[in-house]
Amino acid sequence: MEKIALIFGYNDYTFEIEKNIKFHYEKIYIYALDEEMAQKESYGYEIQTFDLSENWDELRRSVEIDECVAFCMLEDMAENIFLTISLRDTFKNLKIVALSQDKESADKLLLAGATTILPTTQTTANVIVEMLEKPIITEVLHNILYEKSNLKIAQIRVSSIESFDGLYPSDIDWSREHGVIVLSVVREDKSAEFIYSSKAKHHQIKTGDVFVVVGYDKDIVDFEKLLGGGCD
Amino acid sequence: MLKRLLIDTAYKINTSNNYTKTKHFFYNLLENGDYRYKKVFDLFMIALIFSSVFILIREVKSHVNDEFLFFNNYVISVIFFIEYMLRFWVSSSVTEIIIKQSEHDALLGDKFRFLRALRKILHAKLKYVISFKAIIDLLAILPFFHQLRLLRLFILFRVFKLFRYAKSIQVFVSVISAKKFEFITLLVFASIVVFVSSVLIYVMEANNPASPINTLFEAVYWSIVTISTVGYGDITPITEAGRVVAMFVIVAGIAVFSFTTSLIVTAFTEKLDEIKDTKLINDISSIKEFYLICGYESVSKEVAKKLMQNSRVIILEENLQKVLQAKKDGFFALNYDPGSIESYRKLRINIEAQVKAIICLSHSDVENVYTTLTIRSFNKDVFILSILKNKANRNKLVFAGVNELFYEKELVGMVAREFVGKPVAFEAIHALRFSYNGVDMQEIVVSERILDSFTSVGELENKKYRVVLLGIYKKSENEFMFNPPDSTILELGDYLLVIGNTQFIKEFTNNLHKRKQ
Repeated sequence: MEKIALIFGYNDYTFEIEKNIKFHYEKIYIYALDEEMAQKESYGYEIQTFDLSENWDELRRSVEIDECVAFCMLEDMAENIFLTISLRDTFKNLKIVALSQDKESADKLLLAGATTILPTTQTTANVIVEMLEKPIITEVLHNILYEKSNLKIAQIRVSSIESFDGLYPSDIDWSREHGVIVLSVVREDKSAEFIYSSKAKHHQIKTGDVFVVVGYDKDIVDFEKLLGGGCD
Repeated sequence: MLKRLLIDTAYKINTSNNYTKTKHFFYNLLENGDYRYKKVFDLFMIALIFSSVFILIREVKSHVNDEFLFFNNYVISVIFFIEYMLRFWVSSSVTEIIIKQSEHDALLGDKFRFLRALRKILHAKLKYVISFKAIIDLLAILPFFHQLRLLRLFILFRVFKLFRYAKSIQVFVSVISAKKFEFITLLVFASIVVFVSSVLIYVMEANNPASPINTLFEAVYWSIVTISTVGYGDITPITEAGRVVAMFVIVAGIAVFSFTTSLIVTAFTEKLDEIKDTKLINDISSIKEFYLICGYESVSKEVAKKLMQNSRVIILEENLQKVLQAKKDGFFALNYDPGSIESYRKLRINIEAQVKAIICLSHSDVENVYTTLTIRSFNKDVFILSILKNKANRNKLVFAGVNELFYEKELVGMVAREFVGKPVAFEAIHALRFSYNGVDMQEIVVSERILDSFTSVGELENKKYRVVLLGIYKKSENEFMFNPPDSTILELGDYLLVIGNTQFIKEFTNNLHKRKQ
C-alpha cells in the first residue's frame, strides 16, 4: 500500500490533484520543474525542484520508493513523456499515474511505462456528454462516487464463503436480502464481470473475489461482515 | 368624409386578425421558400404545367377528349388566374400604403393626400404587373381564350412558369444574371459579327446565280448557323470572297462559343460557395433537433464524436482551418462566428425549437463568455454548457448565463481521487458510464403507457431480464430513491435507473412498453 504521493509538475492540475488525494496519503511531495518554479508562487506548498536530466539519486535517498506513487503532471506532453520514461527507467516497480492531453500522448505514456493515464480531454468530453445525454444518471453517479449523498460505492473482498458456498453471484437477490446492489465481481485474475453477465453467471463465488457494491453505509458494513472481509 | 372612411377602412382591414392571417398564409404559400406547404403547392403547379404541355403535344396529331381540353383550357387557366390574382394581392399592401400616407400627412399637419396614396398604390402594383415573372404568369393564362388558335401556343409560356417552382432553375438564372454585363458584351459582339458578316456575304454572294444565298434573310440565317458553330451545311458560300467571310465568322464563332462556356463556368465557380451555403442553411432548417458546439478544439472533437451516436451535432467555428479540420474529421462544421448574432440570423437557426443544448468549447474563457452573452441576448432559456479554462473566470461565465460549467483540471483531480481511493469501484463505475463490454446504464422515463401495465416496482420483473434497478428518480419529490422496495408506486414522469447489458435493457424497455394482456 502506497503511503507517499510524489507530484511532478507545478500547475493548476497539481493543485487539484493535491486537493483530492491528500486524505489518502500520509505525505505528499510536490516537485516543480526549474522553469515552472521561476514563474509561479509557492502558495504555501513546500515545493522542491527537479530537472529532466535528473538521475533521481536524491529522490531515492529522501523517500522509500516502494511506498510511493508518482503523478506526472507536466502540461507539456513531450516533457511529461520524458519524465515518465526517466522515472520508469530508474524505478522499475514505481506506480506512475500520468496526465495525457490526447489519445496520441496517452499511447506514448503507456509505452514510456506509465501505470495509469489521466486523460484530460477524454474525461472532460465524457462528463460533458453524460451530463447532456443522461443527466439523472450523471448526478446519481456523481453523488455516489464523490460521496455527496448517504450512498456509497465500496469494493469488498470475500474472505469467508460460508454463506455463499457453491452459489453463483446472480443466484442471490442481493438488493432484497442485504440492501446493497452488487454491480460487478472482480476475480483474482483482476477480470471484472458485470453481475448479470454470462461469465459471472457461470463463476462460483470464491475467496478472494472482490464485490463492487452500492449501498448505504450501514448496509455496506453489514455486508462486509457477512463476506468476512473488509473494504479495500 | 370619403377620405376619413377610406383611412378607417384601411386601419380596420390592417388590424383584422383574419385578414392578416389569410394574407400571411397566401404569402407563405406563394413566396416563402421555407414554408413547409410551399413545396406541395409548387409540385402541384409543376404537375399542372406538364399536363398542359402533354395535352398540347398530344393534340398535334391525335384526338384529345373534350374533358381533357376542358381541363386544359378552363380548369388550369382558372387555377393560374387565381394564382396570378393572389400574387398580385400579396405583392404589396394597399392598406399599409394608405395608412403610411395618412400618418405621414398627419405628422406634417397636412390633409390626407389621396391622389399621392393612389399613385403609390398604382406604382407598387404596376411594378409587380410588369415584372418578368408576372408577365409569364399572365401569358400562361391566355390559352383560356382558346378560340384564338395562336393563343394556344401560349401554353408554352406555362413552361416558363417552372422558373417559379423549380429551385435549380432559379439558381441557374441567378448565376447567369450575376454575369449580366459580360453576357451583354458577348451578345453585342456576336450581333455585330452577325450583322457585318450577313451584309458582307449578301454583297458577295447575292449576285452570283450559283450561290444559294439570294436574300438578306438567308444571309443572316447562314451567319447565325455558322457563328453558333452548328453549321448545317444547307447554305454554303461559293465565291472566294464569300469563303473569306465564312472563315472570319467561323473564327469569331469559336471565340463566342468558348467565351460563353468560360463565362458560365466562372459564374458557377464564383457562386459555388454561396450555393453551398444556401444549401447548408436549408439543411440546417430541416434538422429537427441538434446540439450546437461553439468552437472546435480537441475536446469538441471528442464531445461531437460521442454525441453523434444518438443525436445531430453542428459545429460553429470562426477559424477556417479548424472548420476544414472538423469537416475532415467527419463533422458538420460551419465557418461562422459563434459570438455574433448575425451568424444565427444568417443560418436561420431556431434556437428554441431546434437546439437541444449549446456547448461552448472554445480555447479561451473570453470567447466562451462572449458566445454565452451573445446567445443570452436573444434567448434566455436554451441550456448552455461551457468549459472553464481558468478557475478565476468561473463567476464571469456564470454571470454571463451558463447553466453548467466544467473545469477540466478539477475533473482530472476528481478522477485521480477515485483512482487512488477505490480503484476497482472506479473502474467498475467507469465501465458502466462509458458502456464498456456492452454494459450500460440508462434512464427509462415512466410514461402513461408503462403505467397502464405496471404500477409498482415489484411488477417490473427486472431480474427476469437480468437488469439491475439501481433506483428510481421520483419526479414528484425531486429525489433519488436507491434500491426501492417492491411496494414502491410508480408515477408518471419518474425515471427508472437501470444497469445491464445494452441488449437486455432494450428487451426490458420493450417489455415495459408492451401492454399486459
